[in-house]
Amino acid sequence: MQYGMIIDLERCVGCHACTIACKAEWEVPVEFYRNWVFRMGPSLVGNEMTSTYYPGLCNHCTEPVCVPECPADPVDMTFTNFKTGETTTMEVAATWKDPFDGTVQIDKDRCIGCGACVDACPYNARYINPALVDDASEDGKADKCTYCKPRVEAGFDPACVQTCITNARIFGDLDDPNSEVAKYVTKGARGIEPKGGQLGPNSRYYGKKKDMTLLFNSHTPELADLAQVRRRAMLASMVKPAMKKIKNLGLLGIVGALMAKELLEQEDRNKAEPLS
Amino acid sequence: MAFNITRRKFLQSASLAAVALPLSGALASESGITRSPLEPKGSLQDETVVGGVCEMCFWRCQLVGKTRGDRLVKLEGNPKSIDNGSAICARGNAGIQLLYDPDRLKYPLKNVGERGKPKWKRISWEEALDECGSKLKAVQDKYGPQGLCMFPHGSTAKYPMHFMERTLGTHNVSEASFFQCRGIRDMAYMATMGMPPGEFVDMPNAKVIFLLGGHFGENIHVSHIKQYIQGLQNGAKLIVVDPRYSASAAKSDIWVKIKPGTDTAFLLAIMNYLVSKNKYDAEFVEEYGQGFDEFKEGIKDWSLEKAAKECDIPAAQIKEVADMLAANAPNVSIHPGRHVSWYGNDFQRQRSLACLTGLLGAYFVKGGWVPGKEPKVGKTSWAKKEHDGEHNLNLNADEESIYPYSPPGTPTELIRDAALTGKPYPIKGCVIWGQNPIQTIPGQEKMKEVLQQMDFVMCVDVMPTDATMWADILLPEVSYLERHDLVKTGTQWNFADKHQQYITARMPLVAPMFERKDQVYITNEIARRMGYEKDIPVQTVEELVEKDLSVANLTLAQLKQEGGIHLREGKDPYQMPEDFEILFFNEDIADAGFPGVPTYIPVEQGPAGYARLLYGRVPVHTFNRTQNNIWLNKAMPDNPVWLNDQAAAKMGLKDGDVVGFINQDGIKSRTTTVVKTTPGIRADSVYMAHGYGSANPLMSVGVDAGVDDTSLITKITVDPETGAHGMRNNFVKLTRDGKIIDIPAAV
Repeated sequence: MQYGMIIDLERCVGCHACTIACKAEWEVPVEFYRNWVFRMGPSLVGNEMTSTYYPGLCNHCTEPVCVPECPADPVDMTFTNFKTGETTTMEVAATWKDPFDGTVQIDKDRCIGCGACVDACPYNARYINPALVDDASEDGKADKCTYCKPRVEAGFDPACVQTCITNARIFGDLDDPNSEVAKYVTKGARGIEPKGGQLGPNSRYYGKKKDMTLLFNSHTPELADLAQVRRRAMLASMVKPAMKKIKNLGLLGIVGALMAKELLEQEDRNKAEPLS
Repeated sequence: MAFNITRRKFLQSASLAAVALPLSGALASESGITRSPLEPKGSLQDETVVGGVCEMCFWRCQLVGKTRGDRLVKLEGNPKSIDNGSAICARGNAGIQLLYDPDRLKYPLKNVGERGKPKWKRISWEEALDECGSKLKAVQDKYGPQGLCMFPHGSTAKYPMHFMERTLGTHNVSEASFFQCRGIRDMAYMATMGMPPGEFVDMPNAKVIFLLGGHFGENIHVSHIKQYIQGLQNGAKLIVVDPRYSASAAKSDIWVKIKPGTDTAFLLAIMNYLVSKNKYDAEFVEEYGQGFDEFKEGIKDWSLEKAAKECDIPAAQIKEVADMLAANAPNVSIHPGRHVSWYGNDFQRQRSLACLTGLLGAYFVKGGWVPGKEPKVGKTSWAKKEHDGEHNLNLNADEESIYPYSPPGTPTELIRDAALTGKPYPIKGCVIWGQNPIQTIPGQEKMKEVLQQMDFVMCVDVMPTDATMWADILLPEVSYLERHDLVKTGTQWNFADKHQQYITARMPLVAPMFERKDQVYITNEIARRMGYEKDIPVQTVEELVEKDLSVANLTLAQLKQEGGIHLREGKDPYQMPEDFEILFFNEDIADAGFPGVPTYIPVEQGPAGYARLLYGRVPVHTFNRTQNNIWLNKAMPDNPVWLNDQAAAKMGLKDGDVVGFINQDGIKSRTTTVVKTTPGIRADSVYMAHGYGSANPLMSVGVDAGVDDTSLITKITVDPETGAHGMRNNFVKLTRDGKIIDIPAAV
């Protein structure tokens, strides 16, 4: 099973109902979003006047680039197929691709808020939610679209699909050839693959040729520089537990403060370093 | 005590601090699934409350609320709805941010500063109502009821408006929905085929959808958009006539990039072509038409070429449009439009649309103009009394109407001119209820002068607006989520489905907070203080709703039990009513001194270096009303000005450049916005979304966001038949870094 979402640009009117419903459903902080609608044009595609929308969200990629970047300590985790009850155990960090439904999820408890996955995602589909803090991270936690997993498992549509005023958003199992989403793929619905990437985005777009051209020309992203992402993640994974330890031991006296300062400066220096 | 509310102060106040906290953190887990407390819970476990009717705009989608404790956390479409279904738009979804907006009005306030520069003092309801009652009474005693005027908007304004009109007896009521929006449309269609047309086009079942200025996608009414998209999905061709490549133009088969103001010439040429080429529905016209010979004669000069020149579009395109309509008649949706107060020649254009629909035989047929057959409910309000026409500003000395096709109420300009001149009588008391006349009515400074010369101004609203700054007494109203209110009826959205009717009534989804009150309470208390106790028709708003429902043999309890919406069997909407007729030539219009056959009246063109200011909507805002909603503000925080890309290149402007405006009268915009360059707009026009640029600092989110288009509409045009405003006859240059930049006329 691989869940996916089709966005039919012939039906989409760019109304933003999806983005606001998501905010309400998942208490997304005002300044962040799990899904978005960008308007493009009017501009010329060839000789044709064109204007359409980019209603974006996490692509729950077949080969997600965000998942391998998570530096959190891996643990064994047992997954259950909510339809069949079948289970499987695998080792995952704080973010993973679900072996049964193909969605990409985050364990907020174990997320250290380093932002590696956020930086790795070429679609800007992840953000650090500063409202989510605990001992593992005082800076917030990574957050993103879950394809409304709790709703879907309870038999409901994702919130954005439910509120879509023109049924432009269609959710389902891409692996089921009889599903509406699979039929759209057969008709030509395409995901936005980053330049040079092979991620297999599972949120896909369908529309008139000129609209699709405008969308893909305007919003095909670059892959992130993973070397830089990793360096920052590594530092964060060193700094964060260290900071925690200092605090826990009540060592934040002069010595502790100096240690912490040094660690933070080291991180800042690395952030400021130009790309190699 | 001066009463100034800032967002920070509000958040600090203990009573509602919880509102600002993330819910998941504040509440213990209840679900069986073990989930991190860091994970938001989602709305599935929340209690569902039925009976909501949206008022983020005025389409009135049916809602359910999701509540957690005494707090509303989410709004959804009512799954029982046969209108919007489980879908609601961005604004509908953002309703909870209006409900809990820290800037909302909370207590009765008295202005202890100046009008326009208020200082607010919190007062008791008793004091506020005493003041309103005594001040309105004083105006009434000194100047007569005609000394009072009202600017109402929205469902709660109906009850107080009827008190003013029917009980007190002033004619001086001017609804923005009529005089700055759709009144011209309603009157023109009534003068053509006897009914106001609503937006009753059967788009799901049409073969062609024809939009004149309609920009669906930027303008959103849920069931209407469902109809439109269903029509397109069913294969309807889409014709969009607009100087701008609008959201609808982007889905069109034919985009007619018409010169602003010339629409009637375009329509006359289409009709003349259909008539002269015998491509109209002669049988339909024979059966239902009146005055066809005069009509035919009256439009005969409008060749395709003549219109092409006037409208600045190819003659071949006009022919293409006409042929497409004829080939698919009668299953064509000629959309009557909604906001039609454009150029001051609008009655004739709307008459043309109504006549074109008739020529195509497109009334009461599949895909044509088809009003659904709705169930009957009551209309409880203040009893109508006989008031003579003596002080009706719309009657001249000979008792003749100045604007014979005025929508109900009095044309705004007549009220304002009387107020400013004192002739024929002074107007010294003003009630503003749910309307924002500062940002709705052209001539902002004139409006301010009108308000300044009043003896008393009272405002009732849910939010601070630019208009509330002019109140002496400002009263906080409960929002649509906290009150009983109207009864709403309708049919299933697609006539191809089983015929059904629905009846619903707005019910509160949460209890009101602070000291907010509803319209029946406020109006009745003022009426008592003015000596009209015995005329009060209902004691509570629930009583009013129950009375209206009883006509349909329903009660609120039953509605609630039925999930908020009562459904019943519907009727075939396509059946032609008896005595239906279309007046192609209308003798009464001619007798009143106006063209009885639809006639094109050219509009004034702008001076060199200026472009015509066009405005429209964005899907996340309802004019100015939603500007302070934090979710909607973040979705579209300003209103970029659309500028033709070639003109922009000549002007040295690019996307994102910050600009202001100066209009033909030298009026400058108070704020700035950014440039959006595009080939998708004519070079003689610029465009921006309406409703931005609020000046009220109590709107801590929306203040100064973008530019207020209304502030630039200072040249006032009035449609001669109806007295309603035309608002697209103003011209602007751009300003940047203190310099004025001409807009090249031709590129």
